[in-house]
Amino acid sequence: MAIAKAERLMNLALCLMNTRRPLSKKELRESIEAYREAWQQGSEDAFNRMFERDKDDLRELGLVIDVDENALDGEIGYLARRDRNRLPEIALDAEEAAALSVAARVWQQAKMSGAASGALQKLRAAGVPFGEDAEPSALQPLIPAREAAFEPLLVAARDRRPVSFEYRKAGAAATEQRSVEPWALECWRGHWYLAGWDRDRRDARVFRLSRITGKVRSRAGSFTGAVPEHVDVRAVVASFAGEGATATATVRLRKGAGFPLRTKALSTRQLDGGWDELEIPYGNGLGADLAEFGPDLVVLAPEELRADVIDRLLAVAGLNGLDEAGAHA
Amino acid sequence: MSNAIDQTRRMLSLVTYLRERPGAEVAEVARAFGITERQLINDLNVLPMCGTSFRGGDLLDIDTDGERIWWHNADDVAQPLRLAADEATALLVAARAVAGLPGLRERDRQALTRAVAKIEDAAGESAESSARVGVTFEAEGQVFADIDRAIGEGRLIWLRYWSHGRGGMTEREVDPIRLVTEGHTYLEGWCRTSEDRRVFRLDRIAEIKILDEPADPPRLEPRDLSAGLVNPAADDPQVVVEVGPGGRWVAEYYTHDAAEELPDGGLRITLRSADPAGLRPLALRLGRDGRIVSPPELAEQARGAALAALEHYREGRA
Repeated sequence: MAIAKAERLMNLALCLMNTRRPLSKKELRESIEAYREAWQQGSEDAFNRMFERDKDDLRELGLVIDVDENALDGEIGYLARRDRNRLPEIALDAEEAAALSVAARVWQQAKMSGAASGALQKLRAAGVPFGEDAEPSALQPLIPAREAAFEPLLVAARDRRPVSFEYRKAGAAATEQRSVEPWALECWRGHWYLAGWDRDRRDARVFRLSRITGKVRSRAGSFTGAVPEHVDVRAVVASFAGEGATATATVRLRKGAGFPLRTKALSTRQLDGGWDELEIPYGNGLGADLAEFGPDLVVLAPEELRADVIDRLLAVAGLNGLDEAGAHA
Repeated sequence: MSNAIDQTRRMLSLVTYLRERPGAEVAEVARAFGITERQLINDLNVLPMCGTSFRGGDLLDIDTDGERIWWHNADDVAQPLRLAADEATALLVAARAVAGLPGLRERDRQALTRAVAKIEDAAGESAESSARVGVTFEAEGQVFADIDRAIGEGRLIWLRYWSHGRGGMTEREVDPIRLVTEGHTYLEGWCRTSEDRRVFRLDRIAEIKILDEPADPPRLEPRDLSAGLVNPAADDPQVVVEVGPGGRWVAEYYTHDAAEELPDGGLRITLRSADPAGLRPLALRLGRDGRIVSPPELAEQARGAALAALEHYREGRA
């Protein structure tokens, strides 16, 4: 039976960490049974591919592997120097450790949740006083990442590698190819967004990960433009979502109805006959929000918002114009 | 989760940990590493195959009798390892997000903030890319703090709660269980009024009172929240919605059973809801971007509501 990958990786890590001089591939092949097997039963090529992948995997786990010439024979060798791989002294008190262990449990995505528990394990091994898992806590924050594009984009943003993907813009019938230098990822209201440089449009753009279809492909080369010091994805997304609006709208709202509107009203005036008049911020998407309240709400101004809501209501009622409405009421 | 990467990562920390603790108890080590005893024993079976040279016999001499763990040739192969970029990012992004949660106890916030600074220091350049990922949790701070206190003191709460589906205020008595944050923050509790487990969005709580009566939620299995907060039951009524390209967002916001592509770039979405009438706001919102296919009563209710609303505009114009 082939030797399990974890055993092979562990052996490679131990060999590289416990040498004071660079070890050549040949030496590693002699020392690690799995490599020997791959070489004997497979080929030089099979061993080489396996070795390259394993080095990448160990680097993903945080191991710094240096490539140096062996002083003896001038051959290229590998080693993981102790001083470069040691976790610096870290002193967390019990309260800090407890707070951190709650935070480490929030990821609902396999790669990040594995990384978070890996971090805790390293800290625990270094002597950080984590308590044992307490009973379920009264607070459970969750970071979801169900979008398939999350993991490849996370890695691309980390390594500053350009990517391309098929993207369906909001409301678009078809997808289109986008070529992007990914700067930052942001999760807002449970959805993930990517900010980056759109190479074809030569401009900064924000993408919603759930609208990426198919595979995220890594592109050769590096970023062509500078990455801005501070990327405020949230501000851009929030403005799409209608937040931070400076315009206002006036609506008539039935008493007791529309609580979400009342909490953000700039002013509320009581009217006769069981209605209130509210002044509310008017940002993106307000028409759809207001249509939800049906007969409990009437838009008074501005005219284009009123027309938008009437149009939505006509569509739901299956009518072509307001004149038809009377006949059905 | 025992893929090779996670297992390797764990074993590397395990050797450092065991070196400091000769004769460590299996049960305790498994708890400390957040794994089952079986997983730990599996790791302990792999470790004696590992070392600096299988031919020279420099293998880790670690063994266990199933209760305690002994390492007979513990030397300095095992030092605490630096954090990888992903590890630092996972920890820091989560800790910063929780620290920014409105209503979190000040003591917890300060502890987290101190921990973040120390992790940043220890992680060094591994922490750099963590600034490229951000998560925002939203909560109504005062309501959050009240519920947190009620849970801590084990007391019943009274809510005036906006039911968005029904378009009205409701009053409920709730045994609070926990606060769950996923973008928005929700109270999960036992609703005495509807005699069921419910989640309440904090921004829809109009008023909250902590009652003197002790909370007494029935013993409930902790729910698996990985698929989302709202998990319809298998026997809940089915709802079918057809949307055009502009309504594809419905599939992102509603847990659904199926989303079938339509030739015009739209979707036919099948979902289940305990209370289809509660989807009336969705039906009204969709406008030209979609329509309720079934149940027909829901489509009819939405149509009736739209006609009644249009009547206001017709009068206004006259």
